[in-house]
Amino acid sequence: MRASCLCCVLAVASATIAADPSIQYNRDVRPILAEACFKCHGPDSASRAAHLRLDQHDAAAAAGAIVPGKPDESEAIRRVESTDADEVMPPPAQQRQLTAPQKALLRRWVEAGAEYQPHWSYITPVRPPLPAVKQAAWVRNPIDAFVLAKLEEQGLEPAPEADRRTLARRLSLDLTGLPPAPEGVEAFVNDTSGDAYEKYVDQLLQSPRWGEHRGRYWLDAARYADSHGIHFDNFREIWAYRDWVIDALNRNLPFDQFTIEQLAGDLLPNPTLEQRIATGFHRCNITTNEGGVIAEEYAVLYARDRTETTSWVWFGLTMNCTTCHDHKFDPISQREFYEMAAYFNNTTQAVMDGNIKDTPPVLLVPPPQDRARWDALDPEIAAARQAVEQRRTAARADFDRWLAEAQPAGLASAVPGDALSFFAALNDGAAEQVAVTIDGQAKSVPVSAPLASEAGHVATAAYKSSPEVTIEVPAAGDFEKDQGFSFGAWVKLAKTDGSGALFARMDDQADYRGWDLWIENGRPGTHIISKWDDDALKVVASEPLKAGQWTHVLVTYDGSGKAGGVKVYVNGLPQGVQVQKDQLKSTIRTGVPLKVAQRSTQSRLNDVSIQDLRIYARTLAPQEVGQIVTGTRIAYLATKPADQRSDAEKEELFAWWLTTLDQPYRETAAKLSTLEQEQAAIKGRSTVAHVQQERPEPATAYVLFRGEYDKRRDQVQPDTPDILPPMPPELPKNRLGFAQWLFRPEHPLTARVTVNRYWQEVFGTGLVRTAGDFGVSGELPSHPELLDWLAVEFREGGWNIKRFFKLLVTSATYRQSATTTPEKLDKDGQNRLLSRGPRFRMDAELVRDYALAAGGLLAPKIGGPSVKPYQPDGVWEAVAMIGSNTRDYRRDSGENLYRRSLYTFWKRSAPPASLDIFNAPSREVCTVRRERTNTPLQALVTLNDPQFVEAARSLAQAALLHGGDSMESRLDYVARRLLCRPLETAEAAIAQASLADLSTFYAAHPEDVKQLLAVGESKPDSSLDPASLAAWTMLTNELLNLDEVLNK
Amino acid sequence: MSPFQEHGSHITRRHFFSQSSHALGWAALASLLGPDRLAGHAAASDASVPPSLAHFPGKAKHIIYLHMVGGPAQMDLYDYKPVMQEYYDKDLPDSIRQGQRLTTMTSGQKRFPIAPSKYQFAQHGQCGMWVSELLPWTAKMVDDMCFVRSMHTEAINHEPAITYIQTGNMNTGRPCLGAWMSYGLGSLNENLPTFVVLVAKPTNTEQVQAISARLWSSGYLSGEHAGVSFRSAGDPILYINNPPGVPAEIRRKTLDGLQALNEINHQRLHDPETLTRIAQYELAFRMQSSVPELANIAAEPDSTFALYGDAAKTPGTFANTALLCRRLVERGVRFVQVYHNNWDTHSNVAGRLPDQCRDVDQACYGLIQDLKQRGLLDSTLVIWGGEFGRTIYSQGGLSKENYGRDHHPRCFTIWMAGGGVKGGTIYGETDDFSYNIVADPVHLRDFHATILHLLGFDHQRFTVKYQGLDQRLTGVEPARVVTELLA
Repeated sequence: MRASCLCCVLAVASATIAADPSIQYNRDVRPILAEACFKCHGPDSASRAAHLRLDQHDAAAAAGAIVPGKPDESEAIRRVESTDADEVMPPPAQQRQLTAPQKALLRRWVEAGAEYQPHWSYITPVRPPLPAVKQAAWVRNPIDAFVLAKLEEQGLEPAPEADRRTLARRLSLDLTGLPPAPEGVEAFVNDTSGDAYEKYVDQLLQSPRWGEHRGRYWLDAARYADSHGIHFDNFREIWAYRDWVIDALNRNLPFDQFTIEQLAGDLLPNPTLEQRIATGFHRCNITTNEGGVIAEEYAVLYARDRTETTSWVWFGLTMNCTTCHDHKFDPISQREFYEMAAYFNNTTQAVMDGNIKDTPPVLLVPPPQDRARWDALDPEIAAARQAVEQRRTAARADFDRWLAEAQPAGLASAVPGDALSFFAALNDGAAEQVAVTIDGQAKSVPVSAPLASEAGHVATAAYKSSPEVTIEVPAAGDFEKDQGFSFGAWVKLAKTDGSGALFARMDDQADYRGWDLWIENGRPGTHIISKWDDDALKVVASEPLKAGQWTHVLVTYDGSGKAGGVKVYVNGLPQGVQVQKDQLKSTIRTGVPLKVAQRSTQSRLNDVSIQDLRIYARTLAPQEVGQIVTGTRIAYLATKPADQRSDAEKEELFAWWLTTLDQPYRETAAKLSTLEQEQAAIKGRSTVAHVQQERPEPATAYVLFRGEYDKRRDQVQPDTPDILPPMPPELPKNRLGFAQWLFRPEHPLTARVTVNRYWQEVFGTGLVRTAGDFGVSGELPSHPELLDWLAVEFREGGWNIKRFFKLLVTSATYRQSATTTPEKLDKDGQNRLLSRGPRFRMDAELVRDYALAAGGLLAPKIGGPSVKPYQPDGVWEAVAMIGSNTRDYRRDSGENLYRRSLYTFWKRSAPPASLDIFNAPSREVCTVRRERTNTPLQALVTLNDPQFVEAARSLAQAALLHGGDSMESRLDYVARRLLCRPLETAEAAIAQASLADLSTFYAAHPEDVKQLLAVGESKPDSSLDPASLAAWTMLTNELLNLDEVLNK
Repeated sequence: MSPFQEHGSHITRRHFFSQSSHALGWAALASLLGPDRLAGHAAASDASVPPSLAHFPGKAKHIIYLHMVGGPAQMDLYDYKPVMQEYYDKDLPDSIRQGQRLTTMTSGQKRFPIAPSKYQFAQHGQCGMWVSELLPWTAKMVDDMCFVRSMHTEAINHEPAITYIQTGNMNTGRPCLGAWMSYGLGSLNENLPTFVVLVAKPTNTEQVQAISARLWSSGYLSGEHAGVSFRSAGDPILYINNPPGVPAEIRRKTLDGLQALNEINHQRLHDPETLTRIAQYELAFRMQSSVPELANIAAEPDSTFALYGDAAKTPGTFANTALLCRRLVERGVRFVQVYHNNWDTHSNVAGRLPDQCRDVDQACYGLIQDLKQRGLLDSTLVIWGGEFGRTIYSQGGLSKENYGRDHHPRCFTIWMAGGGVKGGTIYGETDDFSYNIVADPVHLRDFHATILHLLGFDHQRFTVKYQGLDQRLTGVEPARVVTELLA
């Protein structure tokens, strides 16, 4: 398989001496063949016509289509030149007719020997020699030699160097994504040392803003977002990956390591947490949880996305054509696509994202300051647990001694007796009377039928409710709403799917007035009611009781009339609750009696066992509730003769004894508990990382007929495309091996593609304009030698990203003024020849960050959860599903309104509205080149978005407070923050005329002043004259919209 | 004019069409910059011609696409299957299902019991189209309409299916129909977008499905061809209103200052993009008055609301949206994409479908009559339909009175009206089970090819170079213009 066409082509290329050096296959011939011929006579075997391929010398020659040196004998030339509609190629129906010069060129090429070249980007770059230039003095570094040579060839002059203020601004924007502080600009302007420029660059490269700014570009490629993307499009908590990118770039992690950790950090030996967080790169793809989807279909789509993204980012190739068929232009087969997909197919990630924020596999990521403690906690907890266990074992003898001497009466006395207004032990067995205590007086209550009973929990026999039996006590539980009271019992539910009252004093025939101890589908709670359902409290525990298990349930009420005054305890522990009614204003007193296991007439709970029913005429404190629980149960167990005590009962006593009476155990247990709480607290402060995790089986994939998931063909093993250098056998056949292979010195694409993207970030357009397509159908580089020189430089320089950017921005090419001329617009309209400095509209995030920074509002915090700044109402709601947790956009407040835009929460089905308008991508798929349009909707954002209006007001306010006392000095203050320069006279005159008009208007319209100054959450300084601040706000709003501000 | 200015203007124009907003034609640029800013007479004389790429004159100059999100049940509305009454609660024969893949919502069902439609049907109009009792208003205009009962797709879930019918591909990232139209035909107006999206609120929201801004994205076409979402609440276009306390005359003053300063900057650097920006700010200013005017329906006479129904007075309803469609088309908007949600009747057809129909029935009638009265119907193609159909067998419980229906890709019904389609057309036929197509299938690619034809495009030649390929809406599989539907 490896004896590929490349070798043949190379052999031909080197063996042939070009007879016509003016024709180059790659530059001149291939574009014609690719456009007109390859669709039917190219690499794609499925669509190939007449078994003929013209993209390979040998195939074309063997078929007689091309006879080198003999155009008249070449069938291809004959057909191209034919005037017969049935013969001519391409067929007229194809609408791709060749022009006369194109035909002539093909003829000359065949005449000269029909020399093929492999596609340029598949050849390993070698460092080319620097071209000779006339104006050698202009050259500051090798970049300039290549650029200048081209300019001189075209008869163009480079533009003069931009002034220092322009350069200060340009450098700051390119290296940090933010405008420079005015003081920084002045320092640079006034620095007369020879290395002033370099020092300024170094200073910017050291800024932590570098990582944020550079990372933002990478996050487009990584398709990073904060939601899953499809259907519910719920929240995905994956920002730890975003923060990793920022941090890695600030650490200047070399690009090879940067890549390897993201593609395969989990497969490195003993990977660190950071290296595993990095693998979030391939967890950023969109996922679904739509009901009804067929998992395999989406598993295929996910693997395809990871493969295509990898290809776009590191190969600069669009592999997606090859999901369905062999590539039409590039020598990549469908099989090779699936071989590559196999690397990215072998994940433990489930297809359905579950609509949860932490779809496995995930890792816990503690905040950096907690990491050391987090790592230490596991062994510390293990040791503490061991100490607890040791004491538990050692304590056994002490316990036995205690038990032999135990005094149950003493235990029972711990149970609170104060204000116990009603007590029924309910341990009467099968009696016809129930013994109760009312306000300290023992009484006997007759019942309607003999009681049913069963084994008790705090006494031998317990009452078991049944339909035949009613227990009612008229004098018990008569309280008013402003009176504190508490009530509870030991209970055992037969099942948890029913609802009813454990006991109640409630008149269900009269608006349910009264109160109850309520069970709602197993969850304990209470109603305290004057009139259902608008004058009542209802509080129910969040968690249900366990069926068939004795449990102590108790409710306390503090008489406040508020649900907050109700607490529900289970086994002595306060419970999380749901408040269902929270308005009680009127009396709750009712004449009906207290009834057990029902309300006055309804809501019976049958087959529920009840013991030790207590009602207190006061609010019990939490520890008192605990005393009831232990004082009843433990006292009972301790009273039992030892031979009647089961093992389980003895263990229960032991456990109680340890935690209550054994000081050594209590100390060790407290230590363990402290550690566990610390661990839980860190966990609460932590985020998660979505990571890659390889399945244990070897990676494989299937070739899918037409890319359809259910049309599997051959099974394939992971492999790299044949057109690229083979993966050496010493590299593992997995993602790690793949990632390392990308950085082999002979790899022709990685370095070229990466430096091209960096070039694009700084100069606006890549040397190869199609940054995601270095294949045959992509555009040729404007400066091929420069691209190769940069690629080799980057690779040999250790893939050092900061160093590479320093190289770019210290070139004379970069330092040119952006001024253009008619001649340059004609010969170099798009500035591809670099005849002037880079100038283009800033990306969405920069536009917003610039306004925040200039306005002094920008929050400096780096990293953390994504934030929700200003956004018009309804942007999410318009598209989101009901039930999606990213349906309601709840704007943040305070600092989060002013964070850098890369921290803005990115919902994929509705990207941040103002950024979207400025061509920010949806982040659904990998983006390596953004569009850059110029539309009226963009004007509306920077004119009207509260974010920008508030920033304008903030800058205006700063000018009034700190910009001196004169209009001129204040205007200068604003200009230096927006433009990094003072205004020229003519400009100042225009601004002053605007200000005059605005001042006149706002002086006469106080209501408008009030409204304008109320825009945004921050409050204007009250010491300033509002009308004046309003006028300056609108002047600043005008200046913030200058083309010069919006452009780099 | 100096040679430099002339040159600059030339660049600007070319630049403008290639890189800046579609919403501004050459004519608009001319009027904004003033004739003295333009290159000369030659340029001015072709000012009225929008940059159309059409292959031949198309009948449809506008499209209103009413997408029923979730997939309406064709056999309860348009695809009349009386024989099914005899099959109540009988199993769907295997000979009909033919191993068709099912969603995992019903693939686990033990039985596939047939749920005949509980609704009465009657024939209407000259064409004799059978229409369900749920659509009494629609039934009145069947002779203006063109029904396709044999639409089919391959997608079985909402996300891929909607993406497919809107962009010709199940995976996200391709331009939608509206974007293609914007790209191909350009703008007809000077102060509104070319492609507008309206999301109507259904009365019933039991089973609302997700939609996403990706559905109206421009894909690999330039971003200016993406749909602009008009909202029923708040600003109709995002950020269209000045900040509070900034009346139009104050905005005008700041824009005057801004323009003067930008011109100084242009004189300094000669960047043509600066001129474009000046023009775009002027257009933005004009949109600030034209857009609120468009959304203000208070000026409509009572007769309008009699036609569309009183619901048209409530912002966000489908009826209100339908009325806005007419106002948009009237003002030269090319493509209006409407979404009406909640057609996903997995259960409770009886409880939900009448609400759905009530939302759209009179409003669709009103829209088509209104367009007709104003002479706009001939040049406006109205399309109604979902992303797939629904199954004849019941999902979940079945009774005579109620049932549910799962997604069904193999046949569904859409209708079109105006814009060059033949009124009174009933095309395509399904089997007795409304399960398989037995005559005249129309794949959604055929549907796309037909729409493009109505706009003046040969779908095979209407391509854009992307990733080395000539990309087109209809993709690489065969597609056919369904000439039987054309007037």
